[in-house]
Amino acid sequence: MKQTLRNPAVYALFIIPTLALYCLFFIYPMVTSSYYAFTDWNGLEDYKFIGLKNFVDVFSDPDFRSAIINNLFFILFAVFIQVPMIIIMAILIGGVKRLQGFYKTTVFVPSILSTAVIGILWGFIYHPEIGPLNGFLALFGIDKIYWLADEKWAMPAVLFVNAWQWMGFYIVLVLAAILALPKEMNEAAEIDGASGFQRAIHITVPLIKPIISVVMMLSIAGAMRVVDIVLVMTKGGPVGSTEVMASYLVNRAMGVNPSYGLGTAISLIIFAFALILTALYQMTFGKSEKGDVS
Amino acid sequence: MRTLKRILPHAVLLTYVAIILFPFVFVLFSSLKESNLEIATHPFSPPKVLHFQNYVEAWVKAKINVYFFNSLYLATSSAIVGVLLSAATAFALTRMKFIKMSKVLYQFVLIGMLIPGNVLFIAQYMLVMNMGILNTHWALFLPYTAGALPLSVLLIAAFMKSIPNELEEAAIMDGLSSMGLFVKIVLPITIPALVTVFIVNFLGSWNEYLLANFFISKDALRTLPTGMVGFRDTFRTNYKLICTGIVFSVTPVLLLYAFLQEKIIEGVTAGSVKG
Repeated sequence: MKQTLRNPAVYALFIIPTLALYCLFFIYPMVTSSYYAFTDWNGLEDYKFIGLKNFVDVFSDPDFRSAIINNLFFILFAVFIQVPMIIIMAILIGGVKRLQGFYKTTVFVPSILSTAVIGILWGFIYHPEIGPLNGFLALFGIDKIYWLADEKWAMPAVLFVNAWQWMGFYIVLVLAAILALPKEMNEAAEIDGASGFQRAIHITVPLIKPIISVVMMLSIAGAMRVVDIVLVMTKGGPVGSTEVMASYLVNRAMGVNPSYGLGTAISLIIFAFALILTALYQMTFGKSEKGDVS
Repeated sequence: MRTLKRILPHAVLLTYVAIILFPFVFVLFSSLKESNLEIATHPFSPPKVLHFQNYVEAWVKAKINVYFFNSLYLATSSAIVGVLLSAATAFALTRMKFIKMSKVLYQFVLIGMLIPGNVLFIAQYMLVMNMGILNTHWALFLPYTAGALPLSVLLIAAFMKSIPNELEEAAIMDGLSSMGLFVKIVLPITIPALVTVFIVNFLGSWNEYLLANFFISKDALRTLPTGMVGFRDTFRTNYKLICTGIVFSVTPVLLLYAFLQEKIIEGVTAGSVKG
């Protein structure tokens, strides 16, 4: 009887197409990336092996260094502004009885939409002449602001849209953890006279630390590879003020003079940064938080 | 004091919901307005007269219809193929008796989840160029399908592991081959997981921008996200048409969400946490 599930032909038939596609589009590009990163390939002519030159070039370019700083802004904004707000919103939604489903469904909506379309949509809202944001601010006598064309404002404007798109997704993640908590502890604390705020700080937050840790890591990873929203809204400008590593990669490697060797080197750098940051996080905060729970 | 306590959370949450919803309402209103002037002078009020002809104009003149159907059939076909391939693989890995081999292969496929998409972007570009499929829909169909495989295999395998052995033993007693077992017994039971995976893959391809932007340069082959960006760059000043375009591109996703929100939330969040 067991012979039926030991048919090697069927096994091969079920496995090989998947493996072939996976190897061709994941493993093979990963291998070629690690190789081309050390060459001066531009896709057309012959290429030669140039050692670490691509990496040295990239790191000595002040534009790339400022792109790293901008990625850091995305991370800091996520960790110190988005995550606390995500926790607060999730606790609030978890605490209400009426409209809970409505809140959950609504806040999630932006995260299933195309980042490109969201970029276009917000570009319109930020429009200096016709956009509703300046129209609204004008009611308070505030002068026209060139949100996406002003070096001072472009980065905050993009950060806001990025948060607008992704916060709801994380709120729903945290909310699921909150709703799974046993009710007794909160009820006991309420009878003992603890306020909603005290219960949130002393009971709910400590109990949901594991999911907060996950949200932190996902936000950091997301901030490292953010690119669509920047390309669509500002293309990295004005004057590089919103350039991040991945948009620098696109602008340098896929521009008028393509340099794929350099481009693959930059992708490896982004990959390495992401790995290092997650590892660091795991070793420091991730670890202590897991310890608390157990 | 008590009522204040009860109202305060709702006040905060409704403000947040308003910030989420405002752009959609604004775009919907603007898409039906007569001109830029009406948008600029009355940004917050509904259109005076409903200009439905904007939709006709955008659909045909701006080729939204082309982008829309490109996106629709690319996202649908790659999601279906991805689901079928992953289901077959998950079946072989979890139910067939090549246990050692399956363990190794499973780990190998999961490595893919560690590699963020845009790291491979340039190497994939070179790959599709060498394959001679740059500027065809194959250049998107293949990476989209392949990109979804690791997570799809993971989710479907987790589901198939939980199917009781008795069921398949009974089916084999009845004389089903392993192929028959897969098609007639296991696939139908796995449908909830297949639907989840289908949705996640569909949304991923429907929304994808980076590959679509660089792997396709022929206008007639563009998908909605890149088509819309091109559209915005051409019609820079015709805001009502841009808004109509946005409405066309978000409505299918919102409709899908209206009917399947629990499934979608479950799928999208499961994907991230395990990744």
